Amino acid sequence: MTSLKLIDVTKSFGIGESKVTALDHINFEANSKELTLIVGPSGSGKSTLLTILGGLQSPNSGQVLLDKTDLSHFSKKQADKFRLNNIGFVLQSYNLVPYLTVKKQFDLVEKVKPEGNLSSDTFKKYLEYLGISKLLSKYPDQLSGGQTQRVAIARALYTNPQFILADEPTSALDSARVEEVAKLFKSIAENENKAVVIVTHDLRMREYADKIYEIVDGKISKK
Amino acid sequence: MYLTLNEMNKEKLRYGLIITVITLISYLIFILSALALGLAQQNTSAVNDWGVTHVSMTSDANGNLSQSLMTREEVLNTKTTEHSAIIGVAPTIVKSHKSPISATFIGTQKNDLIDKSIRLTKGTWPKNQYEVLISSELSQKGLNIGDKIKLGMLSHSVLVVGYVKKLEYNMSPVIYGDLNNWRPIKGVSDQFYASGIVRKDAKLTHATNLKNYTKAQLFNKMPGYSAQNKTFIFMIGFLLVISAVIVAIFLYILTIQKIPNLAVLRAQGVPGKYLVLNTLSETLIIMIVSVLISAILCGITVWLIPASVPMFFDIKLLSLAAIGLILTGIIGAIVPVRIITKIDPISVIGG
Ligand SMILES: Nc1ncnc2c1ncn2[C@@H]1O[C@H](COP(=O)(O)OP(=O)(O)O)[C@@H](O)[C@H]1O
Ligand SMILES: [Mg+2]
Repeated sequence: MTSLKLIDVTKSFGIGESKVTALDHINFEANSKELTLIVGPSGSGKSTLLTILGGLQSPNSGQVLLDKTDLSHFSKKQADKFRLNNIGFVLQSYNLVPYLTVKKQFDLVEKVKPEGNLSSDTFKKYLEYLGISKLLSKYPDQLSGGQTQRVAIARALYTNPQFILADEPTSALDSARVEEVAKLFKSIAENENKAVVIVTHDLRMREYADKIYEIVDGKISKK
Repeated sequence: MYLTLNEMNKEKLRYGLIITVITLISYLIFILSALALGLAQQNTSAVNDWGVTHVSMTSDANGNLSQSLMTREEVLNTKTTEHSAIIGVAPTIVKSHKSPISATFIGTQKNDLIDKSIRLTKGTWPKNQYEVLISSELSQKGLNIGDKIKLGMLSHSVLVVGYVKKLEYNMSPVIYGDLNNWRPIKGVSDQFYASGIVRKDAKLTHATNLKNYTKAQLFNKMPGYSAQNKTFIFMIGFLLVISAVIVAIFLYILTIQKIPNLAVLRAQGVPGKYLVLNTLSETLIIMIVSVLISAILCGITVWLIPASVPMFFDIKLLSLAAIGLILTGIIGAIVPVRIITKIDPISVIGG
């Protein structure tokens, strides 16, 4: 059982008049086997929370704990390695390299992380499930928004990470697909022992969630 | 490498254009180097062919061997060995059945250092002072074995009996003849005997009013030689700077465009080093491909240009230029590499 925790985390941007407190004394926990949702209006601090969780930026105060290790003590290299090996990010945009075909997006992962990735059987299964197995030879600019998002999800799953952090991964998907992606995330959490954290506006995802946090103006509450 | 090759494959036009530009520049650099060397050799090829390292001449000649006049006494006071030779150099006009041609008469003594360095390419050796050898360049200008020619103020004519390879001294083709002809050709009084002494070793006891020059000093004293070289070095240097700037601008723009994707790759844990190596391999591929194409163009040029164009394609010099270009490319990559190392994923991904 692994977990990522935020303990009393505060993060603000700017100084003086223009100071924005994106996260205000936040406590948060994402555990393996669980699908955790983060909801809230835009600008409330959801993406900030997710990137701190993934070691992309550090908080002004508070702790980010991977089990018992404080991520803020990581060097740049260690943080890179941690993200490469343990985090599957689905970011809001630019997830795919524009000059690589869909197939090569995954080959690139193999180049930088040759081991511990999905077995080809599991990978094929995910591609089928996400409905993108026929798109392997296409370039990102030949994909629709929804297709791009599904490839990005597959890309995040490909490294077989402990944690999957997805920032509005279904914003471009139709309802049927949202349902399917929610089911996929849920089953990955349950059956593969992963901790899945999803930032979403999508109400339809709620019924699959084990835990829901809501952020409003940088303050978090558990539902 | 992986990203680079795929990017080049997708953006063929973009990379094709940059490779075209760099190819043209490196071709120009190659041609200028060949021209610089070819023109330099019009000054140096004869002296280099002798295999000498130093030359002594009168100090008031100011390093210009063809202006130096050594007296018989000065010559006699100088101990020559098999490593040195007394030489008479006289710029002259060749008169024959053809129109007059400028040349440099080099007077040597039988079996001295220079005489032994001469290699006949055609014809026979001169048997007496009435016979001379000419640079093959003069044969291209219409002089043939068997022609009788008049040199400068020499009262009698001499017979061309053979060719040597294309050898030049201070921009004019050489004529090898007997040292005894030097004084009459130059038209100076009886007291003078030769221009100077060339030799293979630095040590030489000679009369006090003679001055020593190294081979390089001799060349630099030749009218126009160093000005011409400096001009070429400046042009080539400038072209290298231009290509560095072009590569820098090109990679800079490409990198700026790619920042969001590079940032996401960094967020996904792709090491910065991987992306940096990728940009460096991009530069190297661009430069190496361009240099190779322009080398091929040079090969074609060698094949097409008329022999009268003073170009000399020296593999060593061209390799040096090629290495210069490749280093230039790496310098051009410094800016984009810095951008990549400074990418902060957060600034791009933002909220
Ligand atoms: N890198 C940043 N620099 C300055 N302000 C930022 C930065 N990232 C986020 N913010 C601010 O923090 C607040 C929360 O942003 P974000 O976490 O992106 O919200 P959400 O994802 O919920 O829409 C916003 O007011 C945003 O403008
Ligand atoms: Mg956001």
